[in-house]
Amino acid sequence: MFEPKIIGFLCNWCSYRGADTAGMARMKYPPNVKIVRVPCSGRISPELVLRTFWEGADGVMVLGCHIGDCHYSTGNHRTAKRMPVLKRLLEYTGIEPERLHVNWVSAAEGEKFATLIHDFTETIRELPPIAEVIK
Amino acid sequence: MIDRTNALHEALDQVLPTVDGVLGLKSGPSGIVAPYLYSKEQPGELEALAIWPKMPVPDTLKIIQKAHPEAQFAVVCRGCEERGIVEMVKHAQLNWNNLTLIGLQCTQDEALFCRCAKPYTTHSKVTIGEPVAGVPDPVTEGFAAKSQTEKLAFWKEQFLHCIKCYGCRNICPQCFCNVCALEDEKWVENGRLPMSLPPMYHLVRAMHMTAKCVACRECEETCPADIPMAIQFRLIARDVEEMFGYETGASIDQKPPQLLVLEEGEYERTGLPH
Repeated sequence: MFEPKIIGFLCNWCSYRGADTAGMARMKYPPNVKIVRVPCSGRISPELVLRTFWEGADGVMVLGCHIGDCHYSTGNHRTAKRMPVLKRLLEYTGIEPERLHVNWVSAAEGEKFATLIHDFTETIRELPPIAEVIK
Repeated sequence: MIDRTNALHEALDQVLPTVDGVLGLKSGPSGIVAPYLYSKEQPGELEALAIWPKMPVPDTLKIIQKAHPEAQFAVVCRGCEERGIVEMVKHAQLNWNNLTLIGLQCTQDEALFCRCAKPYTTHSKVTIGEPVAGVPDPVTEGFAAKSQTEKLAFWKEQFLHCIKCYGCRNICPQCFCNVCALEDEKWVENGRLPMSLPPMYHLVRAMHMTAKCVACRECEETCPADIPMAIQFRLIARDVEEMFGYETGASIDQKPPQLLVLEEGEYERTGLPH
């Protein structure tokens, strides 16, 4: 079975803590996601996501604090403005926009985190490997 | 065409004595047209005034204004060039108060050539010619109707021809960053043709054109490989208008959305989960 490679960019203050919560509660989720901890989801520039695809990731997750809860007040507003445009750009380039997933996970939402990873891995598993799509 | 040239001559004869210089197009001895700064000391030079083909005048204006920050200039601009000037003013590249805009309205033929949705000026006090309505863009519409695999195949074919000459970036009036992401080896691979996929150069450039591209099509015109890259910019401009209600070059007061925080109701239109 195709095991997709997924990179998850998690904000330090909410989503990474949410992943911790999921771990502490011994929740099971697929091991396909490699987590990168970043100071804020607003740190994730479109260039960074595109380079991740270019390096061979089948899917990219960007998780941040809920709108209004950002540690830096409005850092995730930038995520909410850039990522929808990037998704459309992927669509106009012929790459499935589902490969990029943006969502909000708070430190308490361990279960939501596990469910998101599970659902996203299944979504990416349905798609062909990115190497076959773009090469 | 002759009417507009005469009308422009009449307007410039009035404007030229009141400003330090007029930026317009000049036809050279060999027939090459290029931007030229007419001065009131030599009004005779206006004999060689040209209006077609269009040139990236805002870019030239930026260089001249940087050298003479206090001078008052008049600019002969078309609809797209005017939008370019407005966007550059917002990004602190031009001084709006030292400018007099002379709006040159495009003809139906020119609008069809550019597939232009807005071939008229909106900010200029002096206008030359009669404004015509925008024309539909069959190339972009045809692309948007394609399926996912067809879109990918289309760009694979197009980007195969790209020689990475950076011409589209150099000619773009909206590309003015001192440090360009496209020259950074972190994002764009050097020394490999045809470029590997996904085409980082074109995707990064398309992202940077978000809420900036004014649809002047200078990039497509200058491209030696005839890559219709403005298709992506136009589709994204449509999305930005739909999500954030921002139209490039429409208003001098409206701030670019990517620089601001979310406004009421904007989040719902981005399509992100709640």
